[in-house]
Amino acid sequence: MAADKVDPIHQFHITKILPINVGHYDVSFTNSSLFMAMTVIAATAFLILATSGRSMVPNRWQLVAEMSYSFVANTLRDAAGKAGMKFFPMVFSLFMFVLVANLLGMIPYFFTITSHIIVTFCLAMLVISTVVIYGIWKHGFHFFGLFVPSGVPAALVPLVTMIEVISFLSRPISLSVRLFANMLAGHITLKVFAGFVVTLSAAGVAGMAGAVLPLAMAVALTALEFLVAFLQAYVFTVLTCMYLNDAIHPGH
Amino acid sequence: MVERPTDASPGGPGSSKDDEEELARRLERLGESLETRRAAEEAENRKGRSSGFAQATKVASEFVAGVIVGAGIGWGIDKAAGTSPWALIVFLLLGFAAGVLNVLRSEGVVADAGARLREAEPKETRRPDRDGDRPAP
Amino acid sequence: MDPQAAKYLGAGIATLGMAGAGIGLGTIFGNYLAGALRNPAAADGQFGRLIFGFAVTEALGIFSLLVALILLFA
Repeated sequence: MAADKVDPIHQFHITKILPINVGHYDVSFTNSSLFMAMTVIAATAFLILATSGRSMVPNRWQLVAEMSYSFVANTLRDAAGKAGMKFFPMVFSLFMFVLVANLLGMIPYFFTITSHIIVTFCLAMLVISTVVIYGIWKHGFHFFGLFVPSGVPAALVPLVTMIEVISFLSRPISLSVRLFANMLAGHITLKVFAGFVVTLSAAGVAGMAGAVLPLAMAVALTALEFLVAFLQAYVFTVLTCMYLNDAIHPGH
Repeated sequence: MVERPTDASPGGPGSSKDDEEELARRLERLGESLETRRAAEEAENRKGRSSGFAQATKVASEFVAGVIVGAGIGWGIDKAAGTSPWALIVFLLLGFAAGVLNVLRSEGVVADAGARLREAEPKETRRPDRDGDRPAP
Repeated sequence: MDPQAAKYLGAGIATLGMAGAGIGLGTIFGNYLAGALRNPAAADGQFGRLIFGFAVTEALGIFSLLVALILLFA
């Protein structure tokens, strides 16, 4: 068992900062809320400050902001076509939120909000409800044609339709579980290796020498985690775009 | 790193009309070629080089999500209609099928629901469990 | 024994069936990989059969999961 000092799960603990109760509901301001607010503030401040110069030849900050803009815009345009660009504000906000949340979580002693499945699940539900509501609003009943594949023998159509519906409903779960599991596993692994360093180096000089290995591993994992933080934000965005594409063109 | 000049430059105010048109044409051509190259790169990326762990979590979560949703729906129907345990059994198996479908879709063996409908015909009947469904490489 | 406790124990034991599915999947993917390394050109063509084997094997695992779920919830 790990010692009490290096509990790898402790970093995900939610603590109330400002207890608030409305009726029977506990809507306290927790450390999770604090870091969500920080994420929004950081993303907004970064984009506003970086683009405030509006110079023809961008400086570094403006370049990063423009790159993230055109990156998301291209992803969306590739997946959902020109008609998808009306969702750009939503997709860009999602991308920046997830990315900044993941990156903020990499700072030591910071809380990683995307390592809680309820947060990622809410984001995924936001995407899927947008898809469903927009699809029904735009195409009406035709939207449900998404679930009825063509070219299947008539006897199999009900069965295949059920399978397609379940497959559609499983999207928010797989979308959220992927982001959540990656962040959770990464941070636990980091903490475990860091814990090895602490416990080993407490065991004298030989332990110190042995602690070099997990330390190197922790450094390498940190680099990997930065990559994963970006990659998962990207994957989340790409899948959002693909699902939006289903809402915009549900097969004609 | 590749920048996209089309996004940032509205064209200098002082240049003559001819120059501007020429510039616009060149920018457009550059944009096009960048676009094609990026698309090719992306296809390449999607095929092979995404990290093994990411791919594994992707496939596993796709599969498990199908089963979980199926079981959840079945359990809900059982709860509502009192048909326990039949809906759970049926929907768990349907969920399993949906999970396999998710995996096939994310691996690109079966086309997306939307894409498949759009193209309507030929790939549709391809089933992974039949012989001779692919041209010999 | 308390029947509720027996139910939970039974559910736990039923999930052991998933271990068999795990072994089977390991065999399938391991052999696929071995074959693919010997003859990479033929690997893509056999992907469909790989998935078919995966589905059939995993279906048997799902049955034991089903038994466990029925014991727990139904």
